[in-house]
Amino acid sequence: MPMNGWTGNWLRINLTTGIVKKESFTEEFAQTWIGGRGFALKILWDELKPGIDALGPENKLVVAVGPIAGIPAPNTGKTVVAAKSPLTGGYGDGNLGTRVTVELRKAGYDALIIEGKAASPVYLNIHDDRVEILPAGEIWGKGTYETMDWLYKKYGKAAGILTIGQGGENKVLYAVIRSMEGRAGGRPGIGAVMGSKNLKAIVVKGSHEIPVADPPGMKKLGAEDLRKVGDIDKKTRWSVQGTTGVLSWCNEVAALPVRNMRKTFHPDAWKIDGERLNNARVATYGCPNCTMRCGIAIHDHEGHESELDYENIGMLGSNLEIFDLPQVASLNYLCDDFGLDTISAGGVLGFYADAIDRGAIEGNFKFGDAERAKELLRLTAYRKGVGDLLAQGSRLMAQKIGRGSLDYAIQVKGLECSAYNCKFIPGMALAFGTSPIGAHHKESWVIMFEITQTSRDSYGPEKAQKVIELQRIRGGIFEFIVSCRFPWIELGWDLQHYADYFNKITGLNWTLNDLLKVGDRLYALMKLFWLREFPDWDRKMDYPPPVWFDPANADKAGPIAGKVLEREKYEKMLDSFYELRGWDKRGIPTRKTALELGLGKEAAEVEKTAPLE
Amino acid sequence: MEAMKVTVKIIGPFIYEAGFSEKELEFQKPVKAGELPAYVNIPESRAKIITRNGRAVSPQEELKDGDRIVICPIYSGG
Repeated sequence: MPMNGWTGNWLRINLTTGIVKKESFTEEFAQTWIGGRGFALKILWDELKPGIDALGPENKLVVAVGPIAGIPAPNTGKTVVAAKSPLTGGYGDGNLGTRVTVELRKAGYDALIIEGKAASPVYLNIHDDRVEILPAGEIWGKGTYETMDWLYKKYGKAAGILTIGQGGENKVLYAVIRSMEGRAGGRPGIGAVMGSKNLKAIVVKGSHEIPVADPPGMKKLGAEDLRKVGDIDKKTRWSVQGTTGVLSWCNEVAALPVRNMRKTFHPDAWKIDGERLNNARVATYGCPNCTMRCGIAIHDHEGHESELDYENIGMLGSNLEIFDLPQVASLNYLCDDFGLDTISAGGVLGFYADAIDRGAIEGNFKFGDAERAKELLRLTAYRKGVGDLLAQGSRLMAQKIGRGSLDYAIQVKGLECSAYNCKFIPGMALAFGTSPIGAHHKESWVIMFEITQTSRDSYGPEKAQKVIELQRIRGGIFEFIVSCRFPWIELGWDLQHYADYFNKITGLNWTLNDLLKVGDRLYALMKLFWLREFPDWDRKMDYPPPVWFDPANADKAGPIAGKVLEREKYEKMLDSFYELRGWDKRGIPTRKTALELGLGKEAAEVEKTAPLE
Repeated sequence: MEAMKVTVKIIGPFIYEAGFSEKELEFQKPVKAGELPAYVNIPESRAKIITRNGRAVSPQEELKDGDRIVICPIYSGG
């Protein structure tokens, strides 16, 4: 049933039976979970049985947008993809810029729920109420670029397309879902879940109006604000280097991932920095409704166009000690084409080189060897030879390798850390530790605040407070309304604008604080999801990698020489975090907190196997 | 006072305001960290963060000979 701000429907597609159902959701559901991460989380909570195989037909893939998604307003082109993660075993999601955002809403849906498993490879073609499950024999086995081209030829470039590459088909545990040239999302293996269902791609086209409470008002406001944000970007020239200025900054403040995060800076980092990238630029890409396009493409070593941002360069470049930009671009291109997460791929290869270095495993790979890194990515995508080991992510690899290697697998909850070496950045280590899907920068990027506004040595509650503040906004508001965060921080675009858009679109009269509270509800339910999967949950699941506490791993020179994280102080900071969130010492929401956040029913369910305090 | 030499590293789009990405500057008088952006043509209106030798520095702190100062726009990650 349509309601202002929401189409009121989702589409349920069972790939085992071929049955497709359009289902409506209530206004109460919409206003409790809003959309994007909120919808995905609640659907997965309600519909998944704990303990299922994440790569089995019982898992569900949810594609969800939010009320702001797709509306012409600054940077509203994002969609959330989610499932139980095969990499972490817990709740997993990610967002990506895609035309699906706009087309899904125009087709009359706020979410897709994909269940079961097709008997043979298929793709979905959704055009308003017409839904086809079609054979994907011609594109199965192909990379994402070729797949997208094949689908563009068939359905036009304006169609919304999500696809997986060979990584997802072969269930590499950190396979992602891809769209629009360089866009990717779903780091915790959401692409592998799609592959496990024999689903190669989703094509969406819509022809309806997106329901908005005040269409002329929103149209005027959106157009004005698109122009204003675009003007700020032009004036500040943010897009000239996009996110890649972060690399030089991390190198200066000893936070760069170098050599499986053994080191924090490198004299050759300038060779792969934002200035060099901009000089080599051949094209620029962005998401729908984007006014600050951050996808800077260059030609890789083999001549392909490869779209880079900071995380790719940090993890596939400096973390592997590869300081040749076209070679880094080649690794990035391969990851994109195979549909592998670039961050985890860089973390896994770094861990593998480190483990070989330390004699924990025999193998053929050294830091700095770009050609061998490419070969390893190919083996990984097809799970051939050592690639079958690399496809499992660094935590499982370390559990198989043994010999203490788990200590230097740079991951939390199984998800590899993004490109920030936190061996002496306590607040950012806490942000990684408490990220609800495993170590991800998208939840709470507290590092810049921490290094410039606080003492780096401090483990005080102000850091826990700031981590939560950013989680509520980044992992909360931006993930459920669904929109890109860049205008807010990078260009200083006030958060209040997003509450204004929300109200103009939905006809509600919510404050920013009302929206923030939804974020708290989601963080609590994500933790309950983990608890339901792991009833013997321990706060150790919220610890950063052990090597960051190891004095032998301290830098020998530079701004943080001799320093590493301190265990006792980290524990106190974690206690502060839990206390501020209303969670117990295990890091689980208390019964009181769950009730206050409207999660009484969910708390009662989880208490069947794991009591709350 | 004796001449003071400070290395300034500029990050991201500020490079195009300053006209360089790294330079050694010489000062004949005391300079505070917060005053440095104006010396390198970065407008006061632009939000920025400054570090000294890889650590936080308050705008009121005076620079010292041999300091490495980084001036960076605000980011929110990659």
